Amino acid sequence: MFESLKQGFIKTFIRDNRYKVFLEGFKNTMIITIVAALIGVVLGVIVSFVHSLAENARDKHQDSFGAKCLMALDKLCSAYVAVVRGTPLAIQLMIMTFIVMSGFPNKVLVCCIAFGINSGAYVSEVIRGGIGSVDYGQTEAGRSLGLSQIGTLRLIVLPQAIKNILPALCNEAIAVLKETSIVGMVAVVDLTRAGDLVRSRTMSPYFTLISVAIVYFVLVFGLTKAVGRLERRLAQSDRH
Amino acid sequence: MIDIKDLKKDFGNLQVLKGIDLHIDKGERVVIIGPSGSGKSTLLRCMNMLEVPTGGKIIFEGTDLTDKKTDLDSVRCKMGMVFQQFNLFPHKTILENMTLAPLYHKMMSEADAKAKAMDLLTRIGLADKADVYPSTLSGGQKQRVAIVRALAMDPDVMLFDEPTSALDPEMVGEVLELIRELAKTGMTMAIVTHEMGFAKEVGTRVIFMDEGVIAEENEPKEFFENPQNPRLQDFLSKVL
Repeated sequence: MFESLKQGFIKTFIRDNRYKVFLEGFKNTMIITIVAALIGVVLGVIVSFVHSLAENARDKHQDSFGAKCLMALDKLCSAYVAVVRGTPLAIQLMIMTFIVMSGFPNKVLVCCIAFGINSGAYVSEVIRGGIGSVDYGQTEAGRSLGLSQIGTLRLIVLPQAIKNILPALCNEAIAVLKETSIVGMVAVVDLTRAGDLVRSRTMSPYFTLISVAIVYFVLVFGLTKAVGRLERRLAQSDRH
Repeated sequence: MIDIKDLKKDFGNLQVLKGIDLHIDKGERVVIIGPSGSGKSTLLRCMNMLEVPTGGKIIFEGTDLTDKKTDLDSVRCKMGMVFQQFNLFPHKTILENMTLAPLYHKMMSEADAKAKAMDLLTRIGLADKADVYPSTLSGGQKQRVAIVRALAMDPDVMLFDEPTSALDPEMVGEVLELIRELAKTGMTMAIVTHEMGFAKEVGTRVIFMDEGVIAEENEPKEFFENPQNPRLQDFLSKVL
């Protein structure tokens, strides 16, 4: 039993320096996850702010040129969210790789962008929900004290919304981490693909696939625990 | 000071204000009463443009607030507003609640803003609450802080939107007492309330709103002792 485990380990990781394949895959998984999450947050913040401002302009029946641009931009953002949420991520990834950025040599970067664009749509919904969870009376109080709309959002609404946004945002990052396991489809070697490559060489699926699963699990479990702790911390400041 | 001309406000198909003409002079304390749904809160909220009117004009200190070019943020600095639900900022201490807007508008240095806030808190007997969060205050205390938060901006007029309606009965007195004291300083006020005794005592003029129009207005003694409009007679017989 122990001997066969040892043999499996050597075959999977040591022979032909196969651990390097795993390391390369792990590196790409982390790069794609982190960069995509960052792109997602930036896009999500922009889309949710545009939506928030446009909604306010609509409520106030503003018809200036700026307000019209804002509302047009908001329509565009809604379309973006609808398309991203309405199509499979695998298809988005392939469209990005083989059509939109087909000549682009750095496939890892293409994956970052594809996942970032995908994540941005979900992040925007997370932030929108967070902003919506803050009582509208808070906005009215801010505006009645002469704060601008952006000022009210920045000083009054967002600090309260962050409590709901931050944990959901971390969960979104965890989701991105797991979703990156499909990048093998466009010939990028991530952790999953690395495991698959080694498996096809060693013909020993158990050791490779379960090792890969354990790495994902440790990462996700650790992050989930961290989010749980963050949630409790944020909830504590509620009680003072 | 405030000149309202043919003010109209629709919510979808519902016409809430059907052409209001109202003039409020400096030093006047106008109390607005009426059955629920009569448009009295909407009228008050139009005065600082929290509700954007569908038609008509609101002139405040010579500025037309319905003009799209008007900088509403600076106008609102001169109009304090007190809400039914207090709307203190829960993520800020009492002192921070009071200094937020003066510092935002760079009206004074941080030290001066704090000194002024402490002075106001001392006057309402809540100086010891300066560094706590709103959640630890009683309803009456919250509303009194909300009133002095508005006063910290040195407004020319104070708008009260049912300031005691969300309070437990035993806390109504302390809030009314503070408004009464404010009245003695000659502050111009517009008050929407259901407290008839208070209306009679503090108001220099009382307005009865019914179905989106001003159905009757008079000085308090005549208003309550000799009501002309049958709807007002009916309303008073129910609430007095």
